Amino acid sequence: MLFSPDSWHITLLSVGVALISTLFILPFGIGLSWLLARKDWPLKGMTETLVLLPLVMPPVATGLILLKIFSRRGPIGQWLYEMGIEVVFNWKGVLVAMAVMSFPLLVRSVRTSFSEVNPRLEQIAATLGASDLKVFLTVTIPLAWRGIIAGSLLAFSRALGEFGATILVAGNIPGRTQTLSLAIFNFVQLGKDEEAYALLLITVSIAFAGVLTSEWLTRSKGA
Amino acid sequence: MEQVVLSCRVALADFLLDIDASFQSQVTSIFGPSGSGKTSLLDTIAGLREVLSGEIKISGRTLFSSSQEVDLPPQERSIGYVPQETALFPHLSVRKNILFGSNRSSSSRGIADISLNHVAELLEINHLLNRPVTQLSGGEGQRVALARALLSRPRLLLLDEPLASLDIGLKERIIPYLRRVRDEFAIHIIYVTHNPAEVLSLADWVIMIREGKVVTQGVPHEVLVSRLVLSGLGESDIENVFDARLVSSEREAGRSRVRLESGQELFIPYVDKPADCFMQVRIRGDDILVATKRPEGISAGNILSGMITRIETVDGESILRVDAGSIFIVRLTASAVERLNLVEGQEIFLVIKTRSCLVL
Repeated sequence: MLFSPDSWHITLLSVGVALISTLFILPFGIGLSWLLARKDWPLKGMTETLVLLPLVMPPVATGLILLKIFSRRGPIGQWLYEMGIEVVFNWKGVLVAMAVMSFPLLVRSVRTSFSEVNPRLEQIAATLGASDLKVFLTVTIPLAWRGIIAGSLLAFSRALGEFGATILVAGNIPGRTQTLSLAIFNFVQLGKDEEAYALLLITVSIAFAGVLTSEWLTRSKGA
Repeated sequence: MEQVVLSCRVALADFLLDIDASFQSQVTSIFGPSGSGKTSLLDTIAGLREVLSGEIKISGRTLFSSSQEVDLPPQERSIGYVPQETALFPHLSVRKNILFGSNRSSSSRGIADISLNHVAELLEINHLLNRPVTQLSGGEGQRVALARALLSRPRLLLLDEPLASLDIGLKERIIPYLRRVRDEFAIHIIYVTHNPAEVLSLADWVIMIREGKVVTQGVPHEVLVSRLVLSGLGESDIENVFDARLVSSEREAGRSRVRLESGQELFIPYVDKPADCFMQVRIRGDDILVATKRPEGISAGNILSGMITRIETVDGESILRVDAGSIFIVRLTASAVERLNLVEGQEIFLVIKTRSCLVL
């Protein structure tokens, strides 16, 4: 069962979409984290709260909000539908749920690593003639990369474990939107414990590797 | 050297930095106690602080002017900044650190022609080039930061207490490098310190600031004897620093003879160096005796005749400025000045033990 075509398909969908989700939120996460760490603006606290909200809200509630926003008649969903993109109840819905739910974790981690970069280094780089972009790419990013990788891994793991928001936005459609988490839930509901355990093993292995790598990167920071 | 205009008002946390100065000297020392706004002033020149009003000009080039609405970003100011904490990039090797600013656009360059090899040789850091910066000693780090600033071909070099964080041994070794930089490149150097010995050994103009305001400015020997500086010195030593060349050495006698820039000769403890080699000699102001008649039967190796040009007395301490060929600063108790009836214009003798002359 562990290597059945079904479990492979489910794993591939989960890992694949979680990966796309992480890569998708990465540039936004880095940009926003840098702004939060280095700049001030009115209502900055509000921005922070909004970004962190999915971390503390029940995922199902977040899912419901996303469903309203991205449904065919929702503010964003309508606009996307007119461009021929439908988000809800297909893999793109999974993507949106994963992205929104894992974004706060990415930002928290990356923001911390940006705050730990000594602003003096960036200032001196500027006096040496480096443009703001060059300073960012050659000083800030290289010094914060551990936090960026660690944050990405955390975000990826969170995306993989996403359940509550996904089931509302994308449903639980086998072969289309059924991720590892959803499938495990499904199998347990149907009393197919063996199948559930097989997927559980895969999930645990991937998550374990992710968190372990993230921890290792964070801890070896001083080296 | 062309003129530097430094006029700025900057709001700091505790007080207003309000500086008005202009000078043509090559090495200008900003001198003052800690917390007087020295580093903030350097940051302001480098374009790292918001300026309320004023004008900053270097060799005719306006970096900031509130009246002309000019405010060049740090990238375009052509300033080589060596901050106190060196701020070397920890993720880059020494070589990459040094080359970081080397491709600055040619329009904003100061030093026209400079190469990595040239600078590495000048500052003796060739053997460090492939090391990670985390493996440098304090003095090495300072030299690398200095090299990085130079390679960006600045018009102006800012040095923030480059010797402050180092122990005495290193402190003594880095002075010659700073002098080499001064002599090799025709660029302005602004040098922040709270140590009078450093002012005397490097600067040809000194601006004394306290709580963000210029208290006094002038030639180091003049300013350092003024009452204002004296009251701000506290416990720190007053030191005389002289450029000198070795004349001869006698190992058995345990002494060497050096000639100061003024032509005057001094005996110093034996140094094993070739004749005519350049060195700096330091004599603490507390280690010089004053006599009204030429002393005889005395062990001290150096007896110099000179004239008192200035006496300043504050809190029971007197600082004498004595012209004995070179200018010597001597610190005595007020009672000694009274007992000997010392007055300005008086001919006296300075008595200096050979062993009180330290070689830097």
